[in-house]
Amino acid sequence: MSVIYSLKNVVKSRVVDGAGFSLVVPSVEIKAQENVALVGHSGCGKSTLLDMMALALHPDSADEFSLTPDPEEIYDVDTLWKKKKQNVLAKIRKQHIGYVLQQGGLLPYLTVRENIELPRKLMNMPDDDSTRSIARVMGIHRQLDKLPGLLSAGERQRVAFTRALSHRPSILLADEPTASLDPITARKIMAVVMELVKGLKITMITASHDWAHVYKMDLRSLHQEAEVIDNGNVYQSTFRD
Amino acid sequence: MNQFKKIISLSFRDYSHEWRMSGCFVLALASVLAPMMILFGLKFGIVSSMITGLIENPGNREIRSVGSGSYEQAWFDKYAGRKEVAFIIPKTRSLAATIQLKSKNAGRIYSTELFATAEKDPLLEALKVKPEGFYQVILSDSIANKLNVQKGERIDGSLVRQFRGKRERVHIDLQVLDVAPANVISRSVAFVSLELLLATESFKDGRAVTELNWSGNINDKEVRDYPSFRMYARSIRNVENLVNELEQDGINVKANIAEIKTVQSIDQNLSIIFWIIACVGAVGFSFSLGASLWANVDRKRKELSILRLVGFQGGKIILFPVLQSMYTGLLGWLLAVLIYLIAEQTINQLLAPNLEIEQVICYLLPQHFFWALGLTMFVAATAAILGGIRASRIEPSDGLRDI
Repeated sequence: MSVIYSLKNVVKSRVVDGAGFSLVVPSVEIKAQENVALVGHSGCGKSTLLDMMALALHPDSADEFSLTPDPEEIYDVDTLWKKKKQNVLAKIRKQHIGYVLQQGGLLPYLTVRENIELPRKLMNMPDDDSTRSIARVMGIHRQLDKLPGLLSAGERQRVAFTRALSHRPSILLADEPTASLDPITARKIMAVVMELVKGLKITMITASHDWAHVYKMDLRSLHQEAEVIDNGNVYQSTFRD
Repeated sequence: MNQFKKIISLSFRDYSHEWRMSGCFVLALASVLAPMMILFGLKFGIVSSMITGLIENPGNREIRSVGSGSYEQAWFDKYAGRKEVAFIIPKTRSLAATIQLKSKNAGRIYSTELFATAEKDPLLEALKVKPEGFYQVILSDSIANKLNVQKGERIDGSLVRQFRGKRERVHIDLQVLDVAPANVISRSVAFVSLELLLATESFKDGRAVTELNWSGNINDKEVRDYPSFRMYARSIRNVENLVNELEQDGINVKANIAEIKTVQSIDQNLSIIFWIIACVGAVGFSFSLGASLWANVDRKRKELSILRLVGFQGGKIILFPVLQSMYTGLLGWLLAVLIYLIAEQTINQLLAPNLEIEQVICYLLPQHFFWALGLTMFVAATAAILGGIRASRIEPSDGLRDI
């Protein structure tokens, strides 16, 4: 399988009131259709790394940050950010990436159906049965005409997954997608998502702080190491293969 | 194009979904805009016309000659041609310019002053007719009341002279063309054509007036000159210059210069007060609208980030808050116009009976409403664009997570 993400010496730092946080990725490669988990406790930089992979946050520096959603399309993400090619980045996001947040992320003024179809409409994709079948698999086909405010937290996450998959992206990113749900619901949803991802041949990267959960799902995990440097002023978090 | 259309529909869906919040913005806008419109309605209505009335009042524009002089027709033509002069007409000696008027509705004969008049006489501006020839007259309100006559009726005018040791009286049958309102001239005056005034003087001086079959000395080579005049400046602003000019020519005149100064300073002070209120109002209005729309963009950060994450381009995202501000601007303006129109009708109907003349107290022209709309839309768009640019500059990830 081809490599979809290739990151070398990617660094992202934030300094607030003299206390710093630094995220380092020495070398990570993710192959197409791989299922990867970013594992680590809260605040270790999982979301930051995921946002960078979603092209929603720019790295401070990188020897390499390439995205190859398709063997014919290779993007040098770091250069795109440096050249401020916001519209190119938006186009890649629109076409290739589906992103599920820990909670929320649905537009409250659109019905479930309209939320799900928004990415398809943006890409001028025709209406077809695929959205409906994903919704059926996700178990939300009866809620399509409701507003998100009327759904339970679990149902909302199902809708968020359905929306992230509706335009057939090559990459699904999920940031603690089940953290706000009870364990049983969480497991049910993730089992369905795993099945869909396999069926649709999608690369999935999930951030999770729940070790036991990840091992059960049999994902490849990127481990995080933490150390305090610079006289205790900077907390450095490193993700390794 | 697709994204553009989508943003229009999404911004409208969000706006109507949050109708309570949107309603508050609209109410807030209207409650600042409506009082400003009413203030301007009053300024444009009653205050303007009161000031114009004071400024253009003929009494304040009049320049009266003092004593007796000698002015030829050429002198009158020179001043009549000046653009600072609205009207000028000769006066004859005051003793010669009187007539005895008698009507069948009144018992007494009234000796009345004669004024020559012509087109554009400021005292008769409100009337559509002017006396012409020898048999027409316009009466001032005061003498019309004494004679108990109305427009269209006929009265008898008579003149008396001592001629070659005999007392003579002639009569003219006069038609009352109209009555000049009391607010323009309070004295007892009969306005006639210059011809009739001159005929009167000729008769009293013992000369013949062939047109009226009045006998007397014939002296047809005489070049007429006039002892006095009635002059009105175009505006009170021209009065002082004209007075100075006439006095430099050695002509003694009087005008209400002190009163003019008072009126001008009232006009100036009121204008200053209105502009101060208007500026403070407009700035306050801009800030209150701008602040609420700017705050709205901040409140929408997460949603805007999500739209960017889904793939909307930064530049198009700005449209989202801008369009919503436009909706607020348009609806707020509509509501303000509605409130203003209700207030305008109420004010005009409540206070109309207290006014002497037919006058609207509160009034705005259609273009004033569009200026208000333009200002509102400009402020709304500016505030939202500034907020929107800030929102589009932050990285999509920044607004994604709640704190």
